[in-house]
Amino acid sequence: MTGGSTTTVGHSFPRMEGRAKVTGQADYIYNMRLPSMLHAKVHRSPISHGRIRSINTAAAAAMPGVHQVITGEDVKAVLPEPYYGPAFHDQPILALEKVRHFGEPVAVVLAPDPHVAETAAQRIVVDYEELPAVFDEVEALTSEAIVHEELKPAGTFADLKHLSGKRDTNIALDFHLNHGDADKAFAEAAHVFEHTFRTQQTMHTPFEPMVALADVRNDRAEIFSSTQSPSFVRFELSRLLGWPESNVRVKTSHLGGGFGAKVYVKVEALAMALSLIAHRPVRVAQTMEEQFYTITKHPNTFRIRSAVDGDGRITGRKCEVWWNGGAYADIGPRVTQKSGFTAAGPYDIDNIDIDSFALYTNRPPAGALRGFGIPQLVWAYESHTDIIASELGLDPVDFRKRNILRNGRPQAVGTIVEDGEFEAVLDGVAQRLGWNRPFDKGSGTKRRGRGVAIGFKASISPTTSSAIVSVNADGSVIVYCSTVDMGQGSDTAMAQIAAEVLDVPLDLIRVVNPDTDVTPYDMSTLGSRSTFHMGHAVQLAATDARDKLRAMADEVGLPEGSNAPLPELFIKKFGMRAGTVVGAANYKPDYAPPNYETGQSPNATPFWMIGAAGAEVEVDTETGQFRILRLVNVCDIGKPINPEVVETQISGAAVMQLGFTLTETMIIENGQLTNPSLADYKIPGLFDMPDVMENGFIEAEQHNGPFGAKGAGESGTFGVSPAIANAIADAVGVRITEMPITAEAIFRALREKAGRPLEDV
Amino acid sequence: MHFFELAEPASLQEAIGLLGDSGGRPVAGGTAVMLMMKTGVFQPERLVSLRKIESQYSQIRLDSEGNLRLGAMTPLRRIERSADVAAVAPVVTAAMRRLSNVRVRNVATLGGHLAHGDPHLDLPPVLIALNASLVVASPSGERTMPVEDLFRGYLETALAPDELIAEVIVPANPDQRAAYLKHTTRSAEDWPALGIAVALTLNGGTVETARVAIGAATDTPRRLTSVETMLIGNPHNDAVLQTTGDATAGEAEVHSDARGSAAYKRELIRVFTARAIRQAVEGDRA
Repeated sequence: MTGGSTTTVGHSFPRMEGRAKVTGQADYIYNMRLPSMLHAKVHRSPISHGRIRSINTAAAAAMPGVHQVITGEDVKAVLPEPYYGPAFHDQPILALEKVRHFGEPVAVVLAPDPHVAETAAQRIVVDYEELPAVFDEVEALTSEAIVHEELKPAGTFADLKHLSGKRDTNIALDFHLNHGDADKAFAEAAHVFEHTFRTQQTMHTPFEPMVALADVRNDRAEIFSSTQSPSFVRFELSRLLGWPESNVRVKTSHLGGGFGAKVYVKVEALAMALSLIAHRPVRVAQTMEEQFYTITKHPNTFRIRSAVDGDGRITGRKCEVWWNGGAYADIGPRVTQKSGFTAAGPYDIDNIDIDSFALYTNRPPAGALRGFGIPQLVWAYESHTDIIASELGLDPVDFRKRNILRNGRPQAVGTIVEDGEFEAVLDGVAQRLGWNRPFDKGSGTKRRGRGVAIGFKASISPTTSSAIVSVNADGSVIVYCSTVDMGQGSDTAMAQIAAEVLDVPLDLIRVVNPDTDVTPYDMSTLGSRSTFHMGHAVQLAATDARDKLRAMADEVGLPEGSNAPLPELFIKKFGMRAGTVVGAANYKPDYAPPNYETGQSPNATPFWMIGAAGAEVEVDTETGQFRILRLVNVCDIGKPINPEVVETQISGAAVMQLGFTLTETMIIENGQLTNPSLADYKIPGLFDMPDVMENGFIEAEQHNGPFGAKGAGESGTFGVSPAIANAIADAVGVRITEMPITAEAIFRALREKAGRPLEDV
Repeated sequence: MHFFELAEPASLQEAIGLLGDSGGRPVAGGTAVMLMMKTGVFQPERLVSLRKIESQYSQIRLDSEGNLRLGAMTPLRRIERSADVAAVAPVVTAAMRRLSNVRVRNVATLGGHLAHGDPHLDLPPVLIALNASLVVASPSGERTMPVEDLFRGYLETALAPDELIAEVIVPANPDQRAAYLKHTTRSAEDWPALGIAVALTLNGGTVETARVAIGAATDTPRRLTSVETMLIGNPHNDAVLQTTGDATAGEAEVHSDARGSAAYKRELIRVFTARAIRQAVEGDRA
């Protein structure tokens, strides 16, 4: 693809940090050490819900080489309200009085040697009074086990101002949307369909586990963290400490993956508290195993009902979604609301009711994971869509096109859709699959099928990004922004935007790693918001610098339209190579919060992300085992800043979702996680890839986006799971309603269908 | 992980002297031992590394009768790439490509793979089907035992604490046809839910000898003797394969785990037994 009239934006430049990464020279926080640093190892709760009667630290403290053993009460002695969280201040830095999930941090050993700390941590003895626990999101609605006796809304976000939680229940947030008159639509429907779908708990598995180093001394906290949210970490730690934000510095580097695991506060508050107590730098570095106890993806249950008329038009839809948020709310309430309002799917339906509940349970907390709840919804509504099409004898693509949402029409939330190329994305998948050509359905014990699915997401809103662009006297440029490059290529994209505006070559641009002492505010690197929001801020800041350079040219008497090189301009102005020209900008799109009663908003999102998938599968009818012959992913990402990076974003997202579809699941038995390691929690490997995979995007433009661009990091996840389930249904006529899709589930469904259910003896 | 001492003896005899009553536990490639130590299920005080013992224990050779002799310290990757292995036991070479992953195969050794006693590993059923045997060294000398006698229970073997596997012998049998099939139910690189190996000789359309062994679905790798009995002396047609498959369901005790329910695994055994026999018959000695 060419960039049209642009010289840098729209072209596939290689990633700026690529060479350093593949030659092992890139810096990661996990490899960082500070002088006289102590290592922290965490003692975790073995039970899911209980009161702490006592903690005996004597044996651990007596172990040679142990510096100190620290409990929640020790933290409370220096930080009177040691609770954190973006939506609720519900998460204690170390457990206080109660534990609410297995794996919850209860105490910490500090030692100069991490192995000593680890061994000593196992010698801490905690006496618990066990309490009844609840693990299922639907049971949590009515359960007698109450995870939090008291709810503490944080009041942080403009869109969650109403958040209060309901006392003596496990409901952290309930979101309701009413659009039209759904009851009437169901009363008048020619056909009514109802299905329930479920998804499992999974984890992000970033290969650089969560890590933070803290050095707190003399009213100054320096935090080095593998975080997606440096500005939020600064905000939250300064709140906990009662210090101005200028006394807290949060610095990050390249991340070895994030995927939403490293948003908001994760291990930073603990590292800060430990350093505050120990008066020494402290490193809190998780193992891969510990990440399973820290943050996960929401399991959910989704009951979806549709009213359809005689022409195959969906006239009404009722959605009830229960989100299993685990023991601490994290950003679950926002998942519940933001994903909640798209639960009826990318269809033009006049009458919609949505009820979406964020629930506390005694599982490890759930938060943001690539897609922010959307893949769990698309799993349900696109499986449901295919079942309806099949029962009405309609082609699945035609049925979707008959109902698809189009520009100029209101989405369920009441916002008119602009720059949402739903139909083109669906057509893109159908074309690549050759949907209208005959398809070999196999024979004997090898049966083939194909399926499509389409999903969408609103951008998180309202959020702010700030950027500074400085031009050096030699004409080179430095971009200061707090967007974290965690592998998505954002540094390259921001550099391309600055290079385009200032008309300088890309290799003269430097993007500074986020450092809150240096780089200005950004809400966070999440929800595919950076290209749009920070892209805008960088574009505006670069434009500001360009305007100042033009003014400077006027001042030194250069004629208008002169293209004198920048170094000459600086010499003319300052008499030598000296001086700096600085541009700066804040960017925040317009937003209108949803009405609490109806969920309606005239402006709920600055842009829509759209992704569709098509799958071809071959099922072995004797075992249920299946192979993905082909997986096609097509997205609307507006105009790409860097087409190749966008393509790898789409394929990366699709492969990640493939893992959640096929192999990944946190197995919880008797209140214990039985597979907290990569030996037993299986992420897909090369041999699990589809035989053929195609990833692309359609010609589109986001008119309010920087250079027509919008977010691209998650759209590749949306359609994958239901496209595969739909292909399996097409191949062998059985419907899987619960993720992951396993060979055994298919085998059992086949036996059920044959009237010979598999007996468990 | 707990602290431990590490000994690195230079000879097999020295290593054996550090085991048993001396309190040492052996470690070869360490791929399994390290996983167990990291999770705390195995907390040795003293590890005896076998990496520095005589190089003869990491060699592959053919003896005067053409039998394949594999040193116990041979890394799996070297077995995978050995021309001698491919000539005498091509089924072993074929099994290697999907045995764990190349990072593990570079480090894990044949002896460790067997002595671990984990039923989910691939070579135990293959070697049982091929009628392989072990040379086991101890302070009192050497003894030989069939591979099929090694496995006593989940992670339990017939080896005494001061015994080490020195060598694995795969008998040459040019007329034999063999196949190994595995079924993973999670990622392709996962431990299998079922592994099944078949080795047989044919006389015209009739099966003359047969050895069938399974792993992963059962507590220990084991032979399916009822299947063998049914095959021997019979033609290898679809009807016979169907009945042999059906016969497996009752023979082996199967357990449910994260890779599948017992009921599902019994179905897998039924299907894959017939498939493995068919592949052995139809393949050219692979």
